[in-house]
Amino acid sequence: MEVFINLLVNGVSTGLLIFLLAAGLTLIFGLMSVLNFAHGGLFVWGAFSGAWIFKETNSFLLAIAGAIAIGMALGWVLERFLIRPVYGNHVRQLLITLGGMLVLSESIKILWGPNPIRVNLPGWLEGSYQFDGIIIIKYRVFVIVVGLLLYLALWLLLSRTQIGLMIRAGVLDKEMVQALGINVKGLFTFVFLLGAALAALGGALLAPYSGVVFAEMGMQYAILAFIVVIIGGMGSLQGSALASLIVGVAGAFMAYYMPDLSLALNMLLLAIVLLVKPTGLLGEKGSAV
Amino acid sequence: MRGVFHKVPLYWGLAILLFMLLFPFVNDTRSTLILLTQIFIFAIFAMSFDILLGYTGIVSFGHCMFFGIGAYSTALIFNKLDATLPNFLLGLGIGILLSALVSYIIGLLSLRLKSHFYAMLTLAVSQLFLVLAEKWRGLTHGGDGFTFSVPDIFKDRTSFYYITLFSVAAVFILLKLFTESSTGKVLKAISQNEYRAEALGYKSLHYKLIASVTAGVAASFSGALYAVSLRFINTNVFSIEVTLDALLMTMIGGIGTLAGAIAGAGIIEFLRHYLSELAMTYPIFERWTIILGFLYIVVLLGFPSGLAGFIKKFTLKKRRKEKRKREVERAA
Repeated sequence: MEVFINLLVNGVSTGLLIFLLAAGLTLIFGLMSVLNFAHGGLFVWGAFSGAWIFKETNSFLLAIAGAIAIGMALGWVLERFLIRPVYGNHVRQLLITLGGMLVLSESIKILWGPNPIRVNLPGWLEGSYQFDGIIIIKYRVFVIVVGLLLYLALWLLLSRTQIGLMIRAGVLDKEMVQALGINVKGLFTFVFLLGAALAALGGALLAPYSGVVFAEMGMQYAILAFIVVIIGGMGSLQGSALASLIVGVAGAFMAYYMPDLSLALNMLLLAIVLLVKPTGLLGEKGSAV
Repeated sequence: MRGVFHKVPLYWGLAILLFMLLFPFVNDTRSTLILLTQIFIFAIFAMSFDILLGYTGIVSFGHCMFFGIGAYSTALIFNKLDATLPNFLLGLGIGILLSALVSYIIGLLSLRLKSHFYAMLTLAVSQLFLVLAEKWRGLTHGGDGFTFSVPDIFKDRTSFYYITLFSVAAVFILLKLFTESSTGKVLKAISQNEYRAEALGYKSLHYKLIASVTAGVAASFSGALYAVSLRFINTNVFSIEVTLDALLMTMIGGIGTLAGAIAGAGIIEFLRHYLSELAMTYPIFERWTIILGFLYIVVLLGFPSGLAGFIKKFTLKKRRKEKRKREVERAA
């Protein structure tokens, strides 16, 4: 029972971190059908800049704010200089965002060196809670709470605000929204920056969670996020949330019982979804076929 | 054979081949020969990638898996059996068969998907191979890798140079024949407009499968040569950097032309060699990959058809100018 609850907590917290990455990907894809391979680069930049600011200032909140600011700045550069010029051409988008990923992760190695960097937990999040012999690490609870709050905030943004309405309408029918006089390009920039901020935040939260950050981490988590986005359905926030939890929890259990097969499990999930329901669990638009 | 050189500047190709054949007599320093051998090996790999990207319009981010399969098949055969030439052919054959099988299965499952999904899926599958190679330590020794001995003919730098040179020439001719064949023409049509090709009655999945198996087999061959050239292997052959190399080479050389892929391989390997030499004096060049990354982005945004496209455009312009001049003269 103790193992079960611990694994569940681990899985949910990892799942929510993946969700932060996947949320941006799925919205960007849903709105402009741009698959951003550089998203993982923003994530790893968030992780490194968060860890660095935390080490320098010893303030975790400042680290998170700084990571988000840097992530958004980089996201703006990416959107303006890489994605906009090749807008509408899928093959070139794929190629150029992969190039962006390469530059982002290489520049990490230039700034912070090629070796992994150790990251400590902030003092007020160290330690663990104890209930009847079940030990739950504080930081994981913190990640779960933050993740759930962000999901709620995103949901409210999409369902209750004017701009959320425009985004949802844009995902459904971009041309129609444009015809109604709404600046879809501006909307896209907003969504892209939002996605970049979420990715950087995910990275900054992950750094103390895993205790060590390295440049290749971006690609690893990006692949997980891609898998999540496909399983959940492109363009669907709820789908991504659900799929993140599935991938996170399944990954945590597999890592405990059959560690060698954890990536294989995700691939299996992906293959099943692509073969049985190519639109993903909750997706209606943007079928994979 | 006429068909092969139909459009290629035949004399140029032969001149370069002749130059390369004579090169070891002019300059046989070890490092130059090794560099050129490396260029030839990666030229085969880049050409195989170009069959997908340039000729069929498929973006695969997992091409390293075929390179790795070829490399590991040969390396493992040499590790378990004697270092003889028949064993090399055995390893090569196993690698090619495995690659054909893997590319066929992946293609069958995923080539129907849209470009993003295919790119992502191939990336994920190649990562799966990387994990497999890392975890199956009993066979592969994981990230530490293992060394193995190779037949004497591969040990001699000059003879290996000729082997790789002939391999490039052979693969070039074979792939050229492939792209000029009726199948190749259908592939070109698919890359330009898949729906139209489908409407004309060509099953695009069928043709894409042919392209992906061809590319997988050629990549596996280059991987086998790569393993032999190093006499060492580790899981790096499955890393995303290998795929990125192929991408850089084909993009910078010019997609959709086999000669461009060879030129791209030459440029990238040359740059890599000199930049890592520069890094010994100027440590800033230690991370030369970022320079390649910027170069790649600049080429993609500014010169989407690469070096080959640039040259083609230049010569076309020149030819047109000459033609106009002649017409003006005639009119006068």
